[in-house]
Amino acid sequence: MSSPAPAILVNDATKVYRRYGRRPHGTLKSALLSARRSAAGEGVVALDGVSFELPAGEVLGVIGANGSGKSTLLKLLSGIVRPTRGTVDVRGRLAALLELGAGFHPEISGRENIEITGLLLGLTKKEIARRFDEIVAFAEVEDFLDAPVKTYSSGMAVRLGFAIAAHVDPDVLLVDEVLAVGDEAFSHRALEKFSEFERLGRTLVFVSHDLSLIAERCRRVLYLERGRLVADGAAEEVVARYRDRVAEAEGERRLEAPGGVSRIGSGAAAIQSVRLLGRDGRPAGSVETGDSVALEMAVRAPEPLSDFVFGFQIATVAGCVVLGTNTALEGFLAERLEGDARICLRIPSLDLAPGVYAVDAAVHARDGAPYDYRRDARRFEVTAPRRSAGVWSPRRSWEFEGGISWKHRDNGG
Amino acid sequence: MKPESPAFLSPLQRAYAHRALVFALVRRELSARYRGGALGFLWSFLNPLLLLLVYATVFRFVFAPRADVRPYAMFLFGGVLVWGFVSSSLLDAVETFRANGPLLRKTTVAPEVFPAAAVGSRLAHLLLALPVLAAAIAVAAWRGSVTVTPALLAFPAVLALLALAVFGTALALSPLAVHFGDVRDIVGNLLTLAFFVTPILYPLEAVPDHYRPLLRCNPFASYFLAIQDSVFFFRPVPLEEWLAMIGFAAIALAGGAAVFERVRDSLAEQA
Repeated sequence: MSSPAPAILVNDATKVYRRYGRRPHGTLKSALLSARRSAAGEGVVALDGVSFELPAGEVLGVIGANGSGKSTLLKLLSGIVRPTRGTVDVRGRLAALLELGAGFHPEISGRENIEITGLLLGLTKKEIARRFDEIVAFAEVEDFLDAPVKTYSSGMAVRLGFAIAAHVDPDVLLVDEVLAVGDEAFSHRALEKFSEFERLGRTLVFVSHDLSLIAERCRRVLYLERGRLVADGAAEEVVARYRDRVAEAEGERRLEAPGGVSRIGSGAAAIQSVRLLGRDGRPAGSVETGDSVALEMAVRAPEPLSDFVFGFQIATVAGCVVLGTNTALEGFLAERLEGDARICLRIPSLDLAPGVYAVDAAVHARDGAPYDYRRDARRFEVTAPRRSAGVWSPRRSWEFEGGISWKHRDNGG
Repeated sequence: MKPESPAFLSPLQRAYAHRALVFALVRRELSARYRGGALGFLWSFLNPLLLLLVYATVFRFVFAPRADVRPYAMFLFGGVLVWGFVSSSLLDAVETFRANGPLLRKTTVAPEVFPAAAVGSRLAHLLLALPVLAAAIAVAAWRGSVTVTPALLAFPAVLALLALAVFGTALALSPLAVHFGDVRDIVGNLLTLAFFVTPILYPLEAVPDHYRPLLRCNPFASYFLAIQDSVFFFRPVPLEEWLAMIGFAAIALAGGAAVFERVRDSLAEQA
């Protein structure tokens, strides 16, 4: 345990939602008939064995795709739902900005809504009275205080919701994607408010899809995937890892779109995925000039095939082909393809100029009849410390003879 | 599910601890309901007043009123008014978690406040209508139809006990309605039935002797007999009715709290 006492202590938190939609047993009758046997069994595991500890005064970001368990984690932290297994402890006064203005009643005035929302968030009447003017000023709703909230613009309602929650003055503040709403000026002020919290040594937990915001505000980030904690560490690292994963998944999704215009073929063999593997052998969306890379495709042939050719093509997005090759051209004579196969084209030094390139992948018969031909199956970016024109960027050096002298050469980048 | 100290009564403690919020929710309910209407809070008087006039008219010109309880319109009025509180409270209570689902899912509010506010706002409506009852009594007394005695003073206590009993029942029904889709329909039908098996339309004396024990199975019977005693017959409420009322209120509160506590944790997931 590090020096400051932990504000949040989560140990093996697991949440299983029973899968009965709105009506658990449907009716009282069926519940009585089926007695009690719902407990375990089928369920949706929204969060699976997540453990972490957050010292007081730290700012934590939580990222992950939709359905990865971020909101469930916040609900557990806020105590709205209880873990199915494990423990969740939060010390100090807690406020959760899960949905701004969740408690607003459209028919009553802003003034009344401030009071009731404050009470809902756990303030006492005295505390609300003391902070009332500040809340109103922050939300900029002075002139509309006595109008029913249904007459507010959505921006005003959001500002008011935020203002009330922000003035709860919590020790631990949970924020779920609330900055996505509201305009630029509002986001700016909201962020300022968060900075103020931070300066006061409060603990913040942000859930957001805005990766740059997360990277900027948080030193530490949790990355959730399908309810599991897959990364917990320094913001830049975790965010970068998530970005890679998203880029990869995006490619996969595009490939998986069936019957798209960019895909033709009989389907006798099908390309399951196309990936670019970077220097470290991991899928990458961006590589550097001269990196050792590999193009990889996974193929599935439901029936055995004896006539097959695998091919890759790399082109600029403008359509200039920089490499086109296949197993036939390179002398491989087909014998048998059945079930799952992985084909990898290794390129020890990718001497491409900086830019974005598109990969086509194909599996086809010797005569060219496609089994599966996928145009633009994956895109990747090549970066380099120095710009160059064209598409070829081999390892190179300059030599000079005669009456030439240079003042200086900068280090690039 | 970690156990809380005096476990099964804690919903009552939490409802009490959050009473400021309950009052605010009641006020919100009232002010939202009357906002926008030109007559505003006057509706609280007008509704029961119209009801009273309808009874007075119908039982004078259309139906023959019961001979044993006169003026019958006034006899009806007290019971029907209070029954309206009971049935609308329970109907609101079974709806309250659905209506407040967003709050329940998005804030850390103690869920007990919602059935409390449902019952509280109906109680407030009833209190706002009581001046009409008072006026009816005054008119009847002035015309010499009834003789008002201090027995009238039992009425607030009866009402308070009834409100506690209704709150206890609401505590049990409101979370069950979240879990079981048919609770609402069951409650609606039972309330319709209960209206007729509760002494509202008739005095206890009108029930044949051998059916009276059956009537006693209805825990709300005592409250309505006591209401008839206090604001119609103006005679003291018998001790056994007091005991029955206190007993059922206590049972309803304890039982309701116990049911609520059992299903409380899953409310936010399912409402």
